[in-house]
Order: sequence, then structure tokens, then C-alpha cells
Amino acid sequence: MAELLQILVSGLSAGAIYALAAVGFTLLWQASQTINFAQGEFVMLPAFFVLAGMTIFGLPLWAAILTAMVLSLLILGAMFKKLIVEPMLPHGTLPLVIATIALGLLMKESVKEFYSAQGQPFPTLFPQHVLDFFGASISVQDICNLIVAFAAIISLQLFLGRTRTGRAMQATAQDPRVAEILGVDVKRMVMYTFLINGALAAIASILISPVYLAKFSNGETLGMIAFIAAIVGGFNQIKGALVGGLLIGVIDNVAAVYISAEYRAAIPLILLIVIIMVRPQGIMGTSEGRTV
Amino acid sequence: MSAMLELKDLYGGYGKITILNGTTFSIPRGTITTVIGPNGAGKSTVFKAIFGMLDIHSGQIIFDGEDVTRSSPKQMIGHGVTYVPQGRNVIPQLSVWHNLEMGGITSNDQASVKRRMELVMDQFPMLRQFKDRKAIELSGGQQKQLEIARSLLLDPKMVLIDEPSIGLSPNLVQEVFETLKALRDEGVTILMVEQNAKAALAMSDYGIVLELGQMRMHDKADKLLADPKVGQLFLGGHMEEVA
Repeated sequence: MAELLQILVSGLSAGAIYALAAVGFTLLWQASQTINFAQGEFVMLPAFFVLAGMTIFGLPLWAAILTAMVLSLLILGAMFKKLIVEPMLPHGTLPLVIATIALGLLMKESVKEFYSAQGQPFPTLFPQHVLDFFGASISVQDICNLIVAFAAIISLQLFLGRTRTGRAMQATAQDPRVAEILGVDVKRMVMYTFLINGALAAIASILISPVYLAKFSNGETLGMIAFIAAIVGGFNQIKGALVGGLLIGVIDNVAAVYISAEYRAAIPLILLIVIIMVRPQGIMGTSEGRTV
Repeated sequence: MSAMLELKDLYGGYGKITILNGTTFSIPRGTITTVIGPNGAGKSTVFKAIFGMLDIHSGQIIFDGEDVTRSSPKQMIGHGVTYVPQGRNVIPQLSVWHNLEMGGITSNDQASVKRRMELVMDQFPMLRQFKDRKAIELSGGQQKQLEIARSLLLDPKMVLIDEPSIGLSPNLVQEVFETLKALRDEGVTILMVEQNAKAALAMSDYGIVLELGQMRMHDKADKLLADPKVGQLFLGGHMEEVA
């Protein structure tokens, strides 16, 4: 029992971080039909902004994180949209997908080439204690990661649902043609979505890197997991991405202990296949049938 | 009476395809004008041209004495024009209330938008009843009413409404027409495209016959109704066949 609790908490903690990446993934899809196959690298890179800020420019951790956040908004948000999505999207979804795959490779190889091919220890923001909770060892870091990731997703939900700008973003995602005739600044709303994705990626990066080390290849698994989480949960729902992320985090950890550590990487893929066969719109998703 | 809207020799289309071939007409203030014509005459295209959603090759659009040619939709809203396209135009997952709110998204005066939302809901009591429902859960007729109500949020001078009767039962069509008449009586100028030409002309002040992107006839609605050439058009033929 204690062991299961322990596994659940670390699963939820990892899952909440996956959810950050998955939520960003679905937001981009909704707002601009961008399927970002570089999403994993988007989560890998900000950690290196932090490390570069600290080792090359000698910044304290908080300043390095702030700088990384700004750079993420700028590069992963604005520049990604302006330099890649805007020029590629008119040619269709597939060319854009291929462009994001290329971008992912570029980011990965650049970090390997210009920073390091080795996994880098990453400073943790939270105390490293382990709490004893009815015999289960619960890591404070896990709990803090869970709280920060949830806080980010809840603030995002509140922003989208409770503010006029958030609702205009929803309108843009649901029907850009109607949003335009109502006078919504559609381009600006789409830009906001890209900025939000950049910020979510940065938060995920800073939370996950102390756990797994910062490594150029981190994006491979993260991107795959974000993608699977988004599909499993429901591609057109933020709630879906959250549920998908948490579910994969938990299943991954449970499977590693109770089924097989060797096959843990296969479990999310099996989940993906089952969901696609049984409930293709995802656990929380609504089917995207269109009536005219 | 001075014109609310004037189109002067307008040419335009999508990219290289030209649909409007020198469209010219003027719409008097505070009236309902219905545009009729065969399929492909460019009726809906005229609306898109006015509302800044079409490539204008040449010509002029004058609204309320101002040249508004090639204004963006947002700018047109600023000038006091709103547009209700044909088909479904609600934001499906937002509530009725928040759909209405989107009708005032371009305004910075939130207090006045809220007041207008209340006013509009007095006009359409159904909307108040279903205020918190998702728009997608309303029936087709209710959605159309929501769209019309939403187009009134900023107290427009002119409403462009494309095929309001599509998919509505005859009762609801009458209801929508009554709403439009009430708006006209409040001074709003209405330009409408309607497949249901006879019924639409019967409640309009003026009618315009559009064919191949050109204005062929422009007269009082009752005169057009009585014109045999127009009668032929209702049956799906072309005017030349009788002329």
C-alpha cells in the first residue's frame, strides 16, 4: 500500500509535467492547426538557457530562470510562429509537420554540438527532503512539481475561461472565421497561444530537468509522451491533455514497478493503440465531426 | 434621403477570379433592402466585399459619407457595420452570454457592452432564459437569433445579413423578419440577401436584382414584386429569357 502511494505520487508528479507539454501541444493545434513535433525539444531547450545563463554569464539561478523564460517566449513562442509556422502553414499541415520535425532535430543537434553531449546536472528549486507518510516515502520535490504544474494549468484555464481575451482566444480556436467577423484580432490571439506554449514548455523544462538531468536527447521521449498524452486525453480539450498526461505518468510508473522496467516505454504506446481503437476522440475529447 | 451605403463600380473576387463586375448601388438610411438574384450572381460576395473579406480590384465603397474601401472587418465594425453570414456562426463551446459578449469584443467600454447585453436580452427573452447554455445546444432558430442579437451589441448603423431564413421553420422566418423590421424602425439600415425572395421583398422597402456581379434592377420592393421579369427570376430563370 505504502509502495503504491509512493508510485502514485511520483507518477502524478511526472504526469503533471507531461501535461504541461501536452496542453501546449493541443493549444497550438486548436489555434493554428500546428502539430508541433518539436514539442519535446521545446521542453528540453529552456533548461539549457538556464544552464548557459548560470555557467557562461554567471547569473544567479533566479535570474537565469527569468532569462530562460523570456528567451522561451521569444524563441519558442514568437520566432517559432513568425519564422516557421506562418511561412509554412499556407502550404498545408504536412509541410508544417515536417518543418517542426526538422526544427526539433536542429535544436537537439545544436545543444549537443554547442553545449554538451553529456547529461548536465540541473539545480533544483525545491528541497530534496523525503517525507514519511504512513510508511511511504514521498519526495517533497515531487509534491512541489505537482503543485507548480497544476497551478500553471489552472491559471491557464482561468485565463481562458474568465477573461475576455481568454474567451476571444477560445472563439478563435473554435471558429476563426466567426471570430474575424466579430472583430477579434485573430492573428494576435494565435500569437498569444504560441507565447503560452513557450511559457508552458519553459516551466516543464525547469521542473523536469532536476529529475532527469538536462540532456540534448530529452526531447525524444518527452515529445512522444506529450503527443500520446494529447491524443489519449482528447486532442481538442485542455482537460483531455491534463488527464492524458497524468494517466501516462501514473501508468508509466506503475508499470515500471509492477509489470516490467524493460517494457515501461512500451506501455504508453499500448495505451495509445487501445485508445485509438476504443475511443478515437480521446478520453475527454469530443469528436470533430462537422455539420454544415 | 442621403445614402447610408454606396457601391461605385466595384470589381472584386477571390485572387484572380472576378465575381463582382462593376457593382453599383446605393442603400438609403433606415431602410430594409433585399438583394435577390440567381445562384452565383455574387450576392454573398457583395457582403464580403463590403465587410473587407474580399480582394477589391477597383471601385469604391462609401459608408456614411466615408470611403471604407478595403477596410478590415474590425475597421468596418468600428464604422458601425456588422455582418451575419449565412449558416452557423455561433461560437459553439462558449455560452450564450459569452457569445453575446464577443459581439462587443472590439469595444473598450466594458460597462456599456454589459448594458447593451442586457438590452439585447430584453429584446430576445429566449437568450436570457438560455444565458448559461453552450451556444451549440440551442436549436437552429435560436442560434440565428443569437447571431442577430450579437450583431446588435455595438448598436450598429447597418447590419448585413445573409440568408437569415435558411434552416428555419416558416414561423421562425416570420419572427426573424419581424425582428429586422423592428430594427429598421429604430433606425438601423438593413441589407439582406435572401433565397426566399418573395417573402423577403414583401417585408423590404427596396429590392436589388443582382446578376453576374452587376446590379440589374433597383426599385421599391413592391414594384419589383409586381414586375413579371422579376417573377421569372423567382422561378430560377434569367431575366433575359422574358425580356
